[in-house]
Amino acid sequence: MDLSSQRQAVDGQVEVAFKVNGTAERLRVDPRTTLLDALRERLQLTGTKKGCDRGQCGACTVHVDGRRVLSCLTLVAMVEGREVTTIEGLAEDDQLHPVQRAFIECDGFQCGFCTPGQIMSAVAVLREGHATTDAQIREAMSGNICRCGAYPAIVEAVKQARS
Amino acid sequence: MRAFDFAAPRDIADALGLAGDTSAYVAGGTTLVDLMKLDVLAPEQLIDINRLPLHGIRLGPDGLRIGALERMEDIARHDAVAACYPLISQALLSSASPQLRNMASIGGNLLQRTRCGYFRDVATPCNKRAPGSGCPAQSGDNRGHAILGTSASCAATHASDVAVALVALDASVRLRGAAGNANARADGERTVPLADFYLRPGDTPHVENVLRPGELITEVIVPPLEWARRSVYVKVRDRQSYEFALASAAVAVDLRGGAVHDARVAVGGVGTVPWRLPAVEAALRAGQSHEAAAALAAEGARPLAGNAFKGTLVQRVILRALTELAGPR
Amino acid sequence: MRSVDREDGPVKVTGAATYAADHHPDGLAYGYLLTSTVARGTILAMDTAQAEKAPGVIAIYTPFHPLELRPYAKEENGELTPPIQNTDVRYYGQAIGLVVAETFEQARDAAALVSTRCDAERPRASFTDGLPSAVGTSVVDVLADGVSSIDEALDAGDVTVTATYTTPAETHVAMEPHATVAFWTGDQVTVHTATQGVRLVVDRLSETLAMDPARFRVINPYVGGGFGNKWDMWPHTPLTVAAARALGRPVKTVLTREQVFTVVGHRPLTAQTVSLSAARDGTLVAVKNDGVSSKSASNGFHEQPANLSLALYGSANLHVSRKAVTLDVPATTIMRAPGESNGSFALESALDELAGELGMDPVDLRRKNDTPVHPATGLPWSSKHLAECYTVGAERFGWSRRSPRPGTVTDGDWLVGLGMATATYGAGRGQASINVRLRDDGRAVVSGTAADLGTGQSTVFAVLAADRLGIPVGRVVPELGDSATPPAANAGGSGSTSTNGPAVQLAADAAKEALVKLATEHEKSPFHGQEVTFSAGEVRSGGDGMPFGELLTSLGVAAVEATATSPRNPVRDHAFRSFGAHFCEVRVNRWTGEPRVTRWSCVVDAGTIVNATTARSQIVGGVVMGIGQALLEDLRIEPETGRFGNATMADYLVPINADIPPIDVEFLNYPDTLLSDLGARGIGELGNVGAAAAVANAVHNATGKRIRDLPITLDKLL
Repeated sequence: MDLSSQRQAVDGQVEVAFKVNGTAERLRVDPRTTLLDALRERLQLTGTKKGCDRGQCGACTVHVDGRRVLSCLTLVAMVEGREVTTIEGLAEDDQLHPVQRAFIECDGFQCGFCTPGQIMSAVAVLREGHATTDAQIREAMSGNICRCGAYPAIVEAVKQARS
Repeated sequence: MRAFDFAAPRDIADALGLAGDTSAYVAGGTTLVDLMKLDVLAPEQLIDINRLPLHGIRLGPDGLRIGALERMEDIARHDAVAACYPLISQALLSSASPQLRNMASIGGNLLQRTRCGYFRDVATPCNKRAPGSGCPAQSGDNRGHAILGTSASCAATHASDVAVALVALDASVRLRGAAGNANARADGERTVPLADFYLRPGDTPHVENVLRPGELITEVIVPPLEWARRSVYVKVRDRQSYEFALASAAVAVDLRGGAVHDARVAVGGVGTVPWRLPAVEAALRAGQSHEAAAALAAEGARPLAGNAFKGTLVQRVILRALTELAGPR
Repeated sequence: MRSVDREDGPVKVTGAATYAADHHPDGLAYGYLLTSTVARGTILAMDTAQAEKAPGVIAIYTPFHPLELRPYAKEENGELTPPIQNTDVRYYGQAIGLVVAETFEQARDAAALVSTRCDAERPRASFTDGLPSAVGTSVVDVLADGVSSIDEALDAGDVTVTATYTTPAETHVAMEPHATVAFWTGDQVTVHTATQGVRLVVDRLSETLAMDPARFRVINPYVGGGFGNKWDMWPHTPLTVAAARALGRPVKTVLTREQVFTVVGHRPLTAQTVSLSAARDGTLVAVKNDGVSSKSASNGFHEQPANLSLALYGSANLHVSRKAVTLDVPATTIMRAPGESNGSFALESALDELAGELGMDPVDLRRKNDTPVHPATGLPWSSKHLAECYTVGAERFGWSRRSPRPGTVTDGDWLVGLGMATATYGAGRGQASINVRLRDDGRAVVSGTAADLGTGQSTVFAVLAADRLGIPVGRVVPELGDSATPPAANAGGSGSTSTNGPAVQLAADAAKEALVKLATEHEKSPFHGQEVTFSAGEVRSGGDGMPFGELLTSLGVAAVEATATSPRNPVRDHAFRSFGAHFCEVRVNRWTGEPRVTRWSCVVDAGTIVNATTARSQIVGGVVMGIGQALLEDLRIEPETGRFGNATMADYLVPINADIPPIDVEFLNYPDTLLSDLGARGIGELGNVGAAAAVANAVHNATGKRIRDLPITLDKLL
């Protein structure tokens, strides 16, 4: 058995090394800790939001190795060796990402609580390249609930950022 | 969530060696982590299988083979899958959300648990979660519950979309267990047709499938079916997306001279297991009208107070699918 | 009309905006609520022994080991009783304890180890069963001379329609779960908590902790949606504040999504029986609405949905009654357009039915009964342009393409229908105080206890102050949501801009005066002793001008400031209300019955629109919530147990992106100068009112099926 591949809990804790927004992090955590709670409560990266903690709203969307996933259903122990990108890692040198700019210009949010998740999804939608029509964008953005109802402006923001 | 040990082995034998009665495998985590937080599942050991070599989507003369760790989104977007088995691709893309599809593996999808609100709430009785405690769904909130394959013990709907498509296609799962491990009673590898894999609730709704403790799904095998290229997965729900089915139909037709020569029909959202409809298929093969064939879909249905509409809806979903594939008839 | 990007956009798109749960003071402990699993009864015992032994557990508070909280002095819209002061259980999901532990995981998982024994009684949990015994004697009758009863008036019309319309319990589902972080410094406490008004929280906490309000600092600049759900203070807040005091360390409690469904209230169920009677030409001669709402045994709030029938269409005879059915369910509370949202579903559906009976176009029927005075009081409307809303909306939407015969238009597999309804919501202006501080860096800080729930209120502050001061919007720094600032309007009742807006203008004027005073009186001022004016951000005298920041810097003065108070609206001889018109297209699948909204136009008459960008989003948001109300939302109460059957975000369905078409919004922008010089009424609720009826009317036009029981799900259309 390849023991080096295991991070069996010792004293109830587990060691995890991963990258967040380009920075190497090493945490000793309770294995029950989700990626979401590790980001928010351990690394103080509170831009990623907990809307339901059940995979039912999309507010906690982050990228792991470039793919959008829900951090609330990802145990932090499962991102060993992976690269995580959060909303805080999107802007470069204080220059907003084009999707962030488009969300402001199209007023693609109101309360802003779902917005980090929406933006992480929108960035992924553009990268995935499957959504070209408005209907496809709406579908591709349907895993992110916005109770303020900013959906039409979110679709506009995705289109604006694409062009 | 109860405390657990965590391990992430690199090969299958190690994983099987670690597994036992109180362990659980985790791939995407979309079902397991959710239900552990709700205290519905409380494994003492979590085995992260994401490092195991269970990948690959291969289309060959013997059909389609999908490694158990392949993610739903990747399978759905695979060119060969989309071309040769549109119903698989469509079923996957109508499931969950893109984020969840990026996480969830095909093996995990087939093992996802019901969305029954009583199963998910440990403060309520549930025969599936706590055998013998009762089934509040029989008289409680049951709009989303099953009408086919139910029992007095359980009416929980099977939640998977892609399982419906796979059952329609006579797909199988390859399973591996560890022979000789003291903690595992499993005995090596076997292949089980998906139709036989799932068990109806009967008096033992907590036993959902034939998987033995520690056994692992390693691969999904879909036999070749040339005319599956003409197939569709129609899913009906209240919201247009990000919701489980009220009723769905996976339908493939062999169309010859404009008429249905052969058909595969399975339905979701209405059964306690993915529900194949041989009677509907036979009626279509016999040249009966779409309507007459679809009318057989809800035979034996046992509706509850809140879900009687599903008997009609399931017929309409089949009709809609057939019309889409073969035109009105 | 200005169109200005949201001032808080950059912090919201980068994750830098700090919501209540984002605070993490040193030494933080985590609270987790325990909730009841019966709906009515008495807690006999709570076994906490196992949980107390769990790793990391610091304290467990229950009715048997409580944190002392005093009864609330006055009722808002929440519960009357503070949590865990007795063993009564009044609803399923009630807060009955708080576990505090070193980490969130430890608190959550210890909570699962507490077992509770209750003496449970069968709850009153069926609204339908309770309807025959609904209680209430509140009736309004407005009858023409010589008419002795509303029924006599109904009989006198040529055409009468009568029907009962029902709406389910709904809930807000703001994306931000309620959260409180509290930390004490001596006898002062700082509280970060999600609220629609920091002053509300100070008041409530001072009542229940029996402490001087001055000892509380409540801070909440960013609120993750409210919709009425964060108006009152809910049980987790006093428990967290009291636990932080008892333990001498900061505590954070965030409700789980499931707890949000029960701990913080919901919109009550309603039933309305509406009768409309009209002359052959469409003139209404009698309007009758008997409205009933559910009401929680835990508190007093219930809706009065029939009231809207007194305020919208002219009729010589009006009758409204209000009753309530008390249920053992979580608190009933305000939710966006309380009463009017459900009231409009009934009234506007009934209008559509009447139009059908009369063979009239629904827009023409509404025009016929448009009235320049409040139908019940006779007071003239301050500013009403509803007829123009109909005209402009019909034109933008293409209403003339509507087939008067239901069920006759198809497009492939879809039945297509068009529907419309009137939008409306009450307007008013309360008292507010605002402080404006002109700083030596050339920026103007505008502060007050107001809340921005996503409404755009902070940007409205920036726009109004910038215009008044003649500086770019980007140089105004709005500071909202801090109880240490002057008392402005809480966010609710579509009253923020109408109330706070004039105060911002007055405070900006007062700050200008203070600056002018400094400029002319300060000995080192280049304007000392001169006649000066202030314009475009500059102090000017003759041809010379100096930006205020430069002046302050040169004088070594960090800032000048002024606080101004705008009074309550004194006008009593007019009635105030916003209006609008919704037009929508709905498609219903001919096989499977699912209804989909595919087009929308809304024309709005809400007075001055301060910022069209954020105002549009407010209207769109109201419409989206109305589409949810029409097609999806239904918080189901199990009659046997009083438990909500679908209290998760996967089961209580709110609209997702794919459900929503592009939504066209047009503002008429006529200032309501009788309400204020600013002329702004309110837009927070307006877009929601009438939206569900417009959908229902379109569904009828598409299918010929009249659905009077929300939501309009596919099973009702099969």
